[in-house]
Amino acid sequence: MKKYSSLAVKLQGVSKIYTIHHEKPTLVEKFINHKEEKFVALNDINLEIKKGEKVGIIGPNGSGKTTLLKIIAGITSPTKGKVKTWGKIISIIDLEAGFHPDLTGEQNIYLNGMILGMQRESIKDRINKIINFADIGSFIDTPLFTYSEGMKLRLGFSIAVHANPDILILDESMWAGDLEFEKKSTAKLKEFFRMKKTILVVSHWLSYIEKNCKRVLLIDEGKIIRDGSIKVINEYRKQQS
Amino acid sequence: MKTNFKHFFNLLWGMTDKEFRVRYKNTLFGFLWIVINPLLQMFVIGFIFRFFIKDPIPNYYLYLLTGLLVWNFFSLSISKTTPLIVNERTLIKKAKFPKEVLPLSVILSNFIHLLIAFALLIIPVVYIGAFNISNILSLFEGLILLITFTIGFGMLTAALDVRFRDINFFVQAMLIIWFYATPIVYSINVVPYRLMWIWRINPMTSITQLLQNFFISAPGPGIGMLISNISIIFVISIVGIIVFKSESKNFDDWV
Repeated sequence: MKKYSSLAVKLQGVSKIYTIHHEKPTLVEKFINHKEEKFVALNDINLEIKKGEKVGIIGPNGSGKTTLLKIIAGITSPTKGKVKTWGKIISIIDLEAGFHPDLTGEQNIYLNGMILGMQRESIKDRINKIINFADIGSFIDTPLFTYSEGMKLRLGFSIAVHANPDILILDESMWAGDLEFEKKSTAKLKEFFRMKKTILVVSHWLSYIEKNCKRVLLIDEGKIIRDGSIKVINEYRKQQS
Repeated sequence: MKTNFKHFFNLLWGMTDKEFRVRYKNTLFGFLWIVINPLLQMFVIGFIFRFFIKDPIPNYYLYLLTGLLVWNFFSLSISKTTPLIVNERTLIKKAKFPKEVLPLSVILSNFIHLLIAFALLIIPVVYIGAFNISNILSLFEGLILLITFTIGFGMLTAALDVRFRDINFFVQAMLIIWFYATPIVYSINVVPYRLMWIWRINPMTSITQLLQNFFISAPGPGIGMLISNISIIFVISIVGIIVFKSESKNFDDWV
């Protein structure tokens, strides 16, 4: 089953249709009235991403960028079509999610690491690295509610990047930290960009994509309307202004 | 495949461990609450119901305590797993992981609590001489049925509650009624025959009776009761697991 492939991600005819719920959905609405409104977030997407490619995904708000990432990451499944991925995917979406305020930093590292798909032993091997990178120091055995926002963010980021991903997914919420954190995370991500990792970036920060990605996808209304080099960004800029 | 399996248990154990650590954080009595809570219930209910029960049940307080421990496990597990997916929405949105670990870890940590409480219960029942080790089979049957039913039913309500939040309110209301439809404070003998079908469709009947049989040698469930209860446990568990599996792919769309 684990046949080698030069691909990292393959999407075939992927569509994602959400049901819009204006009010609280109830059993009555669903089974008696059959009232359901649909919203097409992704419309018949075909996409192949090779191993080691750095892909930037751009497009206006609500165009389906995040849905596309969620489907690739396996957080949600497509309504139609097939998704295939090779290698371990880590998405840096919500860094602080899954932390428990009453547990210590170390306990949270284990729990969060396992949710990201790491084995207990590999967390054990890397725990010093994770702690050092996050720069938590002596707080490591105090409960998480004593941490500052910055510390939690650093810890979340540190766990994610030490999970040894083959495919890394970065969402725009990534760039929410302070200046110091930004410097540190950017440096770490540069390392990843230098390695032969597959990286997908969703961002409105176009110059970041321009600098770091070779391939750019422009998405609008659930469709990939342009797939090409970083020149796509210029087109998009013109279109926007 | 093997690493997936191992990761699943790693994660399940990690989450169970979390449930355990977090529950008694910053409490003075900590672990003792496993015992204090049902004991209080036992004294209050036992004191009041003594006035209403015509045929006294032998060793009534311990009979009550056994039933209460079983019931508390079930009702705590269900009322916590039902809204669980909604409460853990940030986790669902963060990564791909086997969602089953969420309800399973809650149930498992409660189950460990139950086993500890049962171990302590052995002391008084042996002391008063109501305990008979030859009923050991009832213990295993009772525990297996209890955990199977709790997992199946918990997964069903947890999965449905994601779309239909009414389920949580419904379950809360149902648990109150359900308590009185289970032979915990009374014995099944007082139930009129024409109403017996209610107890036959309530899987908690056999489970409670089996465990009362083990601890204080109260009469176990009849064969008819056992068969109808087990069939229902079987059906609900299968349905629960299937519904959870198929719904879990799209939990993210609803929370």
